[in-house]
Amino acid sequence: MLRLRGRDYGADTSLVMAIVNRTTDSFYDKGATWAEGPALERVRKVVDEGADIVDIGGIKAAPGEEIDADEEKRRVVDFVAAVRAEFPDLIISVDTWRATVGEAVCEAGADLLNDAWGGHDPGLAEVAAEQGAALVCTHTGGVTPRTRPHRVAYDDVVRDAIDSTVAQAERAVALGVDPASAIIDPAHDFGKNTWHSLELTRRLDEMVATGWPVLVSLSNKDFVGESLDLPVGERLTGTLAATAVSAWHGAQVYRVHEVAETRQVLDMVASIRGVRPPARTVRGLA
Amino acid sequence: MIVGTAVCPHPPLLLRELTGGEDVAAPLREACHGALAELAATAPDRLIVVGGGTSTGEHNDAPVPARAYGGDGPRVAQAEALPLSLAVARRLLDETGNELPVELHTVARDADAGEVAALAARLAGRGERVGLMVMGDGSARRGVKAPGHLDERSFAFDDTVHRAVSEGDTAALAGLDAGLAEELMAAGRAAWQVMAAAVELDGVPVRAGVRYADDPFGVQYLVGVWTCESS
Repeated sequence: MLRLRGRDYGADTSLVMAIVNRTTDSFYDKGATWAEGPALERVRKVVDEGADIVDIGGIKAAPGEEIDADEEKRRVVDFVAAVRAEFPDLIISVDTWRATVGEAVCEAGADLLNDAWGGHDPGLAEVAAEQGAALVCTHTGGVTPRTRPHRVAYDDVVRDAIDSTVAQAERAVALGVDPASAIIDPAHDFGKNTWHSLELTRRLDEMVATGWPVLVSLSNKDFVGESLDLPVGERLTGTLAATAVSAWHGAQVYRVHEVAETRQVLDMVASIRGVRPPARTVRGLA
Repeated sequence: MIVGTAVCPHPPLLLRELTGGEDVAAPLREACHGALAELAATAPDRLIVVGGGTSTGEHNDAPVPARAYGGDGPRVAQAEALPLSLAVARRLLDETGNELPVELHTVARDADAGEVAALAARLAGRGERVGLMVMGDGSARRGVKAPGHLDERSFAFDDTVHRAVSEGDTAALAGLDAGLAEELMAAGRAAWQVMAAAVELDGVPVRAGVRYADDPFGVQYLVGVWTCESS
């Protein structure tokens, strides 16, 4: 059971979380939605394409220009309020590791805090509890935000991801987060090399078996690029392959750049799994 | 005596669960329900279903083999389930809340005139009021995307059936060519001929009409109703 913005989603319902960056330098869109106008246009477009959630971020994940909390708030808080005003029912997520930012965006209308750096700021879960927000608990292997993996090693990366994310989820619930609103994310590429991300994808069913709703963020990432030897911009097919495998294993939330394509893959896998009827079947039945 | 007949087709897609998110056969199903309501209005004591099958014979009631066509529900060996034409009839009767006793027969789709006449004789001449529910499809070769591709002869064949059902013309149905029907993949030929022969033994159709005739997927679907009186 997953509960977001007061709505309940059964385990067979998948949700598409569209990435909306208020950044100048994110790896994929390279500042395309830095200004508020284009960012709002992006929200309208992804909602039209069937996104269930938007994930608004003010800081690129990779190392880069230092963005302090005040600047991060300037980038996201008013924008969250604008999205909330235009889309009263849309689930709004904010990608941040800072409790102060989390508090401000929740007050502006956010429903979900995407703690992409794995509990680096323990106060963020407290904010989620106080604000009645949902929380994404991610596995980073304990790294500092905005660092790249360097010679990381795990005895068992899947075990480590499960132990870390489940511990964060349990702590969040102990603090008062709704148990149906704590989501776990193995965080492909975060504190991991490509081999680690591939193994997490291959064994994602083990994370799903914990019973916590699982979010995957696969979109156009380096593990796809290194697997196929393709640059950013040519990784959609690989992303969708990883999406299909994750869906087969039972992941429930998909953080993506390309909404329509992801929705198609998720619908197709759901039909193969037998949890979604095909849209229209006539072949051989006339 | 036979007091009325209802003619319905029996594509699997009349089973709602088989067409996924879209109910592609909704207008057809509605027409079938309407025909059954008209049949019920003739006040029969019993319904006898006659549908095309691989052989001629009476059937006990049995499960509808929706799973065999891809639907949900329990797996039932096809040998222990109703044949398709009777299964669709059973579903239509359930959907319309039929409470009359029902007798189920198949007629072999390649039945010759003697076999047709023998079955008709079993169904006619009874002391009780009998409503006949006749399950049959027209040609499955009505377009290049039809199950049997295009055979131009389909249109004249199906037009003949259409006219005969709309006018209560038993002789025209009796005259359908079994070999041509087989070539055109018209599964209803023998069942329609049983209807014509049984009605001829018992009386005459006094009101006849076609309620649906279309080929949305390359197969001719015909829904019709006859109200009969003894001759």
